[in-house]
Amino acid sequence: MTDSRIAGNVARQLNELPPGSAVSLQMSVDNYLDVMSGVIDLYAGKRDMDTIYVTATISFEAIKRVMQALEIDTSRVYFVDCISHIMMGTAAAQKDEHASLVESPTMLENVMLKVEYLLRRSQSKEKLVVIDSINSLAIHNNSWILSEFLHILVSGLRVKEARTIILSVEEHSTPEIANMVNLVCDSGIRAAKEE
Amino acid sequence: MPPRTGDRDRCVTGIDGLDTILYGGIPRDNTVLLTGSCGTGKTSLALEYLIHGAVSGENSLFISVTENSEKLLMNIIPYKFFDRELIKSGRLVFVDMPAMYERLGMTKAELSMEEIDLLVAAIGSLVKELGIRRMVMDSITSVCYKLKTPEKIRDFILKLSKTLSDLNCTSILVSEVAAQSSAYSTFGVEEAISDGIVLMANMERRGDLLRTLQVIKMRGTMHSRAKYVLDLTPVGVLLVPLLKGGSAGT
Ligand SMILES: Nc1ncnc2c1ncn2[C@@H]1O[C@H](COP(=O)(O)OP(=O)(O)OP(=O)(O)O)[C@@H](O)[C@H]1O
Ligand SMILES: [Mg+2]
Repeated sequence: MTDSRIAGNVARQLNELPPGSAVSLQMSVDNYLDVMSGVIDLYAGKRDMDTIYVTATISFEAIKRVMQALEIDTSRVYFVDCISHIMMGTAAAQKDEHASLVESPTMLENVMLKVEYLLRRSQSKEKLVVIDSINSLAIHNNSWILSEFLHILVSGLRVKEARTIILSVEEHSTPEIANMVNLVCDSGIRAAKEE
Repeated sequence: MPPRTGDRDRCVTGIDGLDTILYGGIPRDNTVLLTGSCGTGKTSLALEYLIHGAVSGENSLFISVTENSEKLLMNIIPYKFFDRELIKSGRLVFVDMPAMYERLGMTKAELSMEEIDLLVAAIGSLVKELGIRRMVMDSITSVCYKLKTPEKIRDFILKLSKTLSDLNCTSILVSEVAAQSSAYSTFGVEEAISDGIVLMANMERRGDLLRTLQVIKMRGTMHSRAKYVLDLTPVGVLLVPLLKGGSAGT
């Protein structure tokens, strides 16, 4: 199951971030569940923050199941799912009040629009946007457009004082991707047992 | 809010993205052509402009030429910022153009020059009587079909704009164009004489279909000329810049 030390470590570092900050969160494939538990449960959950979770990796339904298996409260998590449509066609996921589907991970403008929509509807004082993950988005988009997307998204979120977490998977990363993320982030966290 | 440019007072549309593009809003008393092919969101955007106006205390008038206003109402009820009270209190008024033609006895397929003057005067007195500050006509193209010649269309739009402007009314004229058209209006006359042009379109990019909005011209202000991608949502029209992605953009 999850390693609570890693989850705790991630949450502790996130807790130090001021509103409007953007952080790069690097992890190994093996730490995915720890990171999820650290970010969604120990961090956002404890602070009563609405989380807007952009998934380009696995469907929102699968992530929701994982969260529920980890006994994480998902009632304040809203998904922007850019992968269900291309994986399952139009018959994709059933209607869910907590999920907005984007037809394809190449429609980055629509990702921004859904994030904007969910932010406007959110009633919570603090808001968190999670991008899962930059590597999945990089499979579908060239680095020019992806970089432009990150810049516009993150600067918009800063103005609204929402926090952004950009996940990257070490095994799938390249120097180019790391560079792109570092350009828009104020700080970096590495999910590991030790600092 | 971005800094204002120029001296003109602004009519804040209430659509955040659009006000940003226009450096604060439409210069007051302008007549703006809102143009695009079918289903691009013209009516939704125009209605939202009026609702925000009504909410902020400006009397707003929707002159419906093509659709029955009862039907239009069904589309705006889901909006979070819409309140039926706006209609009851007379802040937001719907008028059907066919009823107006009938009241003025304009039964023929083509309007004469005299009838054009009569129609403009009728709209003018309505705007004056009700103290209207924002008006939408949806669509001007349908009215133009009753005018037929470019001269009459020019005459009608010029007189209408002048009348509305003199009454301190900031107006949006909705215009319909064919999807593949490179012109901003069906008759080619409308675009030249309006104070502003906002173009809504569908754009295909590598197989994805996007709704876009672009301000082509706007007298009395600086504005962005970039394309924006738009979404119609229960919280209204949302806009984000179209990503260029190096050379991939069109
Ligand atoms: N608030 C909304 N949320 C989701 N979809 C919407 C919303 N408002 C409108 N739409 C959809 O967008 C479509 C186009 O909207 P709209 O009628 O505003 O376009 P239009 O340019 O006026 O079209 P037409 O040329 O037919 O008059 C509608 O058919 C409707 O399905
Ligand atoms: Mg319409």
